[in-house]
Amino acid sequence: MELKTMALDLGVIKPLQVGGDSPEYPAGWYIDPITGQRIFYDPNTQSFYTMAGGVFIPLGYMNPSPKQVAVGPGEKLKITISYKYSGPSITGAIEYFSIGVYGTFGFDEKMTAKNTRNLPASTTPLPYTGAYTFTIPDNVASNWDDIYCKIYGGGVPQTLFGYEDCLLIVGKDPTISDFEITDFAKV
Amino acid sequence: MLDIALAPMALPLKEFTVGDTIRVTVSFKYAVAVDTTVTIKAGPYYRDFFGTHMVGTCVGQTDVPLTATTTLTPQTADVDFLLIPKATGGIDNGTYGLRVWVEDTDAMSEQDNIIIVSGNASGGLDLSGILPMVMMLMMMGMIMPMVQQTGEGA
Repeated sequence: MELKTMALDLGVIKPLQVGGDSPEYPAGWYIDPITGQRIFYDPNTQSFYTMAGGVFIPLGYMNPSPKQVAVGPGEKLKITISYKYSGPSITGAIEYFSIGVYGTFGFDEKMTAKNTRNLPASTTPLPYTGAYTFTIPDNVASNWDDIYCKIYGGGVPQTLFGYEDCLLIVGKDPTISDFEITDFAKV
Repeated sequence: MLDIALAPMALPLKEFTVGDTIRVTVSFKYAVAVDTTVTIKAGPYYRDFFGTHMVGTCVGQTDVPLTATTTLTPQTADVDFLLIPKATGGIDNGTYGLRVWVEDTDAMSEQDNIIIVSGNASGGLDLSGILPMVMMLMMMGMIMPMVQQTGEGA
């Protein structure tokens, strides 16, 4: 059976320096240069937030998927992540993988898995990869089409990255795409 | 570097006569876990104030077998439909859109105003156009005597 793969890049990860350097940005409101949206930066969590209804919401970590992988029940899906790390040695960093449904109220995790690993001390960002292979269950629903991954623990700041609509769940009902009329003529 | 994204070319406007059979070719990609068969339907439609209306008597269909595959696989299919004359409950002269869809799925493709239908005889009395006026006259005919009686009784 063919092994399907999906790769995600978590980018560069820096450790939280407790009592160390000042944060990259002071706390406050900023304008996202890409979207023009007003966003709030919290140096304690080193994260950007947006506000809706008086509630601060972490800025979106889900992204459009560069590709869509079709998988069906019983098939295996390998998710690969890549990231770079520099800082002191880390023991017990967790690479976390999840397949589920991303919606208005966040990510509804349907399948999860994690790897634990140690990261050696480095003054320059070193590349790392992690992977986990899921077996798609028989009860998979067609909307289990989103993936997110994160790395956290051991002093690594939690870093999330995900893809929306990156899976095409193939069930007993056909999934049809790119349906178009190519021609019509009298016969 | 100049980067231009080309949109798919719109389907051309074509003329047909009632009694003609139109063959529509569709392309799509599919994936399914088990061998199955889907029904593809095609037919003319028109839009008015109340929405979109298929000309039901002219809708044709075909069954397309799909072999199980978990990767998106290209597929094409032909669907024929007949332009039944209006005199036998079919389509009137005019300009129509073309819609094709896969039954029991969300797959659908359509384009407005690409089918010109002609060939229906223009003779004969068509009462449908004057029906509202006839109805109004009938109602006035019923109301007027009632109003006159009320006036006489006062």
